[in-house]
Amino acid sequence: MGRIVSSITDGKGFDLLLVGLTMVFLLALAGVPLVYNVVMSFQQVDMFNLSTFSRPFAGFSNYVEVVSQPEFWLIIRNTAIFVFGSIGGQFVFGFALALFFMLKFPFASTIRGLFLVSWVMPGLVVGALWGWILAGDFGVLNAILKGIGLIDNTMFWKSDPSLAIWAVTIANIWLGLAFNMMLLSVGLAGISQDLYEAAELDGANGFQRFSTITLPMMRSTIGAVLALGLIYTLQQFDLFPAITEGGPANSSNVAQYWAWQWSFQLFDFAKGATVSVMMLVFVLFASLVYVWSTRHEVRG
Amino acid sequence: MTAQIELQNVDKHYGTFHALKNIDLAIDKGSFVALVGPSGCGKSTLLRSIAGLESISSGTLKIAGETMNGVPPRKRDVAMVFQSYALYPHMTVERNLSYSLRLKGMSRADAKKKAEEVAKTTGLSELLHRFPRQLSGGQRQRVAMGRAIIRNPKAFLFDEPLSNLDASLRVQMRKEIRSLHDRLGATSVYVTHDQIEAMTMADYVVVMRNGVIEQRGRPLELYDFPANKFVAGFIGSPAMNFIASSIDASGTRLIFDEYSGESIALEQRLEPNRKVIAGIRPEFLRVASEAEANFHIEVGTVESTGSATYISSQDQMVTVVQSERTELKPNDRVGLKVDSARIHLFDAKTEARIVTDAG
Ligand SMILES: Nc1ncnc2c1ncn2[C@@H]1O[C@H](COP(=O)(O)OP(=O)(O)OP(=O)(O)O)[C@@H](O)[C@H]1O
Ligand SMILES: [Mg+2]
Repeated sequence: MGRIVSSITDGKGFDLLLVGLTMVFLLALAGVPLVYNVVMSFQQVDMFNLSTFSRPFAGFSNYVEVVSQPEFWLIIRNTAIFVFGSIGGQFVFGFALALFFMLKFPFASTIRGLFLVSWVMPGLVVGALWGWILAGDFGVLNAILKGIGLIDNTMFWKSDPSLAIWAVTIANIWLGLAFNMMLLSVGLAGISQDLYEAAELDGANGFQRFSTITLPMMRSTIGAVLALGLIYTLQQFDLFPAITEGGPANSSNVAQYWAWQWSFQLFDFAKGATVSVMMLVFVLFASLVYVWSTRHEVRG
Repeated sequence: MTAQIELQNVDKHYGTFHALKNIDLAIDKGSFVALVGPSGCGKSTLLRSIAGLESISSGTLKIAGETMNGVPPRKRDVAMVFQSYALYPHMTVERNLSYSLRLKGMSRADAKKKAEEVAKTTGLSELLHRFPRQLSGGQRQRVAMGRAIIRNPKAFLFDEPLSNLDASLRVQMRKEIRSLHDRLGATSVYVTHDQIEAMTMADYVVVMRNGVIEQRGRPLELYDFPANKFVAGFIGSPAMNFIASSIDASGTRLIFDEYSGESIALEQRLEPNRKVIAGIRPEFLRVASEAEANFHIEVGTVESTGSATYISSQDQMVTVVQSERTELKPNDRVGLKVDSARIHLFDAKTEARIVTDAG
């Protein structure tokens, strides 16, 4: 007994205790639901067997049915637009802002701090704000675009089927901008000024310094930002109920919102689980690419 | 001789801080110039101004006869070796070396060949495929040198390149850098706070303090004829002893005020009763018999490195260096002798060298 106690206070036991707590936590709150979700996607689930675990095995029939839904390909396309549009927009604007704030000008870090506002705001609030900004007849965005002469007719961002998914994507770019900018700023700050000076003396102009020093040195940071961006975008849910509710006619519906609709509007939990397993496979694949791309970490 | 680098009335301000004050300096083609001075005196600022990494506030800077004010660093054709080496961590040694050539549009094969040549002269041939993090400090230093050499620039600028190396490697690299400079017929400006490095490597030494050039000259000139007390104390190791003194009423004897008024005959007459500072290098003081002694100290510490013995007074104001060992112990009273031709005299107020006929 004494040995166990002393091992916990100052031996290996303490390490095991810490790791054990984390493992229990992860298994109970992430592992079990994940497995349960995968199992459910291969079962027949209805309101009567919802509370038991032993349900009839359904094979791939849930998957076949999900794929053969008329809106399936539309939703895949929307999800692709939403994910790649958001990640691309967040990354490009976030990188531009991060570079801008690396310049030494008065209050640079204070102003950069203000950008965090978008990060601390709840998605539903951001959704409501953008709902107003994007509104057709009285929205600010239309007023601005008309004011500077880019458009003549009112754009119905939320109700035009060809624009709706872009409306949500724009809101999501704004939401994720600060996160991207912050991570990229940290990466940029980690590159020593000496390297830029050496490159400058070696004859590199601004663009060459960016492409031969900044980008390669930022590789792992960029990988992390893109991988996390993918995950955050795929789990972005709040904006959809707040702005378009997936409409009109699924024209702005995406996989994660669809999964929620299956489970909690149609109460077809098996299909909801099926859609989310499909997303899981995609995220797993992306994570593998990320891990593979950062296997030769080079820094310092 | 034509000046390869020329600074005329150069000033540099950081906000309200005046970092370089009216610097005039001409560096001949093919010469090796060391900039020395205490920390914060503006050595790096001067070097970076030549490189173009800092802009000068006023004055003219010329490299190879062309005015360089406002020309960006990449068009000045000077190479710099940084204290941190600043190697590109994501590139192999070969790509570090050939980076500048590739930027100029040289083909990959030619650049590689050139890198191999330079690697041979700097002893890096075995390491071309390593990354900087896989190199020792001395090897990194060589890569930094190679990266500068490969460009065949108009001037080499070094900012304390050896300060991260251990003592023996530093001595070796000192020689290598100097012989490389001679072989390439290069023009080099070398910043260091180590006056031994400056004395052993340079053709000319420039001593700076607080943004001002205090003196410039050949190493032994600075040692033999320091222009003021600051330079006298900075050049030479261990540092020169300074003793507050005065000239006697007849103007022929120097009185060591701090050593109970003991005195020594001057080489020549000086203004009577003038307050001066006597500077005596530790290597020109000798422990002497009572009959010969010019003044006396109480021994404070005795240290020996084997080859040299350092005897310091209790007030730490006077140090003697001799190559013989000694029986002296702390608290012994000992007489010291100095050849009066070896005494440097500085004005007590201005601290400038008092020029005598002897020099
Ligand atoms: N960017 C800057 N802004 C304001 N002051 C600066 C800046 N860079 C240097 N200084 C000041 O200019 C003075 C000279 O600096 P510099 O780096 O040239 O010194 P140094 O002689 O190289 O010293 P060290 O031997 O410590 O390297 C210092 O007092 C320093 O504080
Ligand atoms: Mg410096």
